[in-house]
Amino acid sequence: MAATAPSSAAIAIPGQLLGPASKFQPGPGTHIHESNLYSSLLGLVHVTQPVKAPGPVKRLNKITPAPAPAELPTISVSRSAVSDKRETLPEVGNTVLCRVIRITPRQAVVAILICGETVLDAEWQGLIRVQDVRATEKDRVKIYESFRPGDIVRAEVISLGDQANYYLSTSRNELGVIMATSEAGNTMFPVNWKEYRDPETGFSEPRKVAKPY
Amino acid sequence: MTDRRRVNGPVGSTHPPVFENEPEQELGASKCLRTRAPTVTRKMYLKTGVTPSASGSAYLEIETSGKGSVSGLKLSCTVHGPRSLPRSTPFSPHIILSTHVKYAPFATKQRRGYLRDPTERDLGSHLETALRGAIIADRWPKSGVDIIISIVEGDQDREASKSQGGEAWDMMNALSGCITVASAALTDAGIDCVDTVAGGVAALVRDEGDDTTPRIVIDPIPSEHEQILAACCVAYLPDRDEITNLWFKGDLPASDMELYSQLVEKGIQASRNSNEVIVSSLRETVG
Repeated sequence: MAATAPSSAAIAIPGQLLGPASKFQPGPGTHIHESNLYSSLLGLVHVTQPVKAPGPVKRLNKITPAPAPAELPTISVSRSAVSDKRETLPEVGNTVLCRVIRITPRQAVVAILICGETVLDAEWQGLIRVQDVRATEKDRVKIYESFRPGDIVRAEVISLGDQANYYLSTSRNELGVIMATSEAGNTMFPVNWKEYRDPETGFSEPRKVAKPY
Repeated sequence: MTDRRRVNGPVGSTHPPVFENEPEQELGASKCLRTRAPTVTRKMYLKTGVTPSASGSAYLEIETSGKGSVSGLKLSCTVHGPRSLPRSTPFSPHIILSTHVKYAPFATKQRRGYLRDPTERDLGSHLETALRGAIIADRWPKSGVDIIISIVEGDQDREASKSQGGEAWDMMNALSGCITVASAALTDAGIDCVDTVAGGVAALVRDEGDDTTPRIVIDPIPSEHEQILAACCVAYLPDRDEITNLWFKGDLPASDMELYSQLVEKGIQASRNSNEVIVSSLRETVG
């Protein structure tokens, strides 16, 4: 039952031997036990060859972290053949889209709607603390000048947080409010990095605006 | 204001149904003896993905012993999650398992209530230990998963008059089925497991008529034997060669210490059989 030489698009069952850890890198849906790689999901086996560095290596002119030793092909088990619904969890470093639920002077409570590319089934709560709103002049940040309830915010997960909330941050240019409605109830458009304007009344409201891609 | 939450009975008076008497059967004569070889399990039907609303589900049916009034085991398992924990629970770096096993009111000879009774709680906690050894819990931080099993038919001989303490032995069969069906449903839900865990039962029985030494059978049906001396239910990971849960009950003759390990060995053999069913049923769903 244990296949020693995994061919591409073979069916894997949890606990099935995929290969030695000295020859493959573990990808999603696999685990290592006693220096062997085993499947941990039901699905199809995929072996991805590592990407070779294109061309001759340029002369180093700045200090970069040493590249990971990615010479080994990565083996992963994908469930896409079994079912298209797959629960995902927000992880540290993911970019998420969320809706602001309520604001306090110290934090904004949001509901995480989309994690990466996938729409989440379960409702996960997140928290943007006042010191995580932007990278500069953190002591002048006011939550009510950055978010309002109902705004759609693009943010990054910085921590799994406490029992109930993920901790999110918008301290990058491309993170922040991407959709906002004015007090009059109209959808607004961004005018600069800290203002949204209502097209009908002409009033502008302060927000932490996300830089468009 | 009418009660909208419950399905109430009709308002007026009703008459209980009157059934024709069944032909009297001679007790003892109707007793069905085991025809399978001691190392053969009953046939099993397993299908995953039966409940569309759940993230994972499975249905398990074990055949009857051939006698009309002996029902087989019918289990339906749904897995909900991984989903966010309620606000009151403390931070957990791994997934929190909660298992619920419930007999349907009509599943056994004795009618079951709607609330969970101690035997159902017991089955649930045994199931939880069996599954916890198989799940890679730290892949899903801050989340919980609910595993709900309803026992639709409880594998009991409805005509057996004497109760020979059969309740406990029936629970073992039910537990082994619960482990098998929950393992298939967990895999269907896409929750990371180190292996497909499966349950198996072996028992030391004394048969009617022969006064010879007791023998060990796997997948026992209590009504087919004169007396069950001891039984064990194991949850076993075949590829890891590990036991995640072991439930042993009964008396063994003190003279034979080998018997204990033999019984566990046979339980493992039974669970290997049910694991084959899981593997082939899972393979069918891919594609």
